[in-house]
Amino acid sequence: MKGLYKIILSFFMMVCLVGCAFDLVSVKQVPTKLDTGQPPKNPFVLGKETSADIGTSFNTTLKQGTKWQYVGVIPEGDVYKTRDQVLTVEASNIHEAYIVVSSGNLVGFYLPVEKTFAPISQKMELAIQAVTPE
Amino acid sequence: MKSVRMLCVVIVTFILAGCATTGPKFNELSPTISNLAPDTGRIYIYRTTILGAAVQPDVKINGEVVGSAVPQGFFYIDRAPGSYEILTSTEVDRKLTLTLDKGEIRFVRLGISMGFMVGHVYPELVENAVGQSEIQECRYIGK
Repeated sequence: MKGLYKIILSFFMMVCLVGCAFDLVSVKQVPTKLDTGQPPKNPFVLGKETSADIGTSFNTTLKQGTKWQYVGVIPEGDVYKTRDQVLTVEASNIHEAYIVVSSGNLVGFYLPVEKTFAPISQKMELAIQAVTPE
Repeated sequence: MKSVRMLCVVIVTFILAGCATTGPKFNELSPTISNLAPDTGRIYIYRTTILGAAVQPDVKINGEVVGSAVPQGFFYIDRAPGSYEILTSTEVDRKLTLTLDKGEIRFVRLGISMGFMVGHVYPELVENAVGQSEIQECRYIGK
């Protein structure tokens, strides 16, 4: 009889843990404020594909040859967006994202709907190729 | 034994027929789809897979039910530019947040992943070229 209780208890614990696991992963975000009032910066083209780790099991890839337009600035860096690819950061939920660049390095993502900054695990140097604004 | 097999075939046929999505295919309907109003954008929402066909949760946009996650079905909504949250609920909520600009067209695919009791339907933003290609064989389920 004791053995049966143990089995039932184990089953319920497993159910609870599995239930929690479905919502375990979320994108780490901090609130931030986008300032769009600064003088615009030049767009750039990404010379090399870059894959960034945001601490979830899903990497976010910036494709080679994509053109990035300046949107504004947040305390963590300059914010750029592109129309050349869909860019999202993903965990249990998926969020559209812009990139945040500081001193030529990708430092994280700006989530325009949430108005938050999602840092990447380790900053990454971007292969920035300057282009003249249209 | 033969009659059992026949019965199984009949049952499976009924189940599959029940799952079949009706309505015109995208490529049949697209010539009649209205043009975008000048100050709006459009979001196409579609589901290609028939995996987990019985799981057809509502699709909500900013809390408003706009359709269902019907296998091989699609619908679209026109909205003012702004920020949107697309949500599906089964055992858990799965959401996608995206922006929509004036004149912009976006494609959201409804995928399915494994759940504990039922599968989880999740919305994901896809490239327009991918969405445009995948939606062709889906059938219109909008109102």
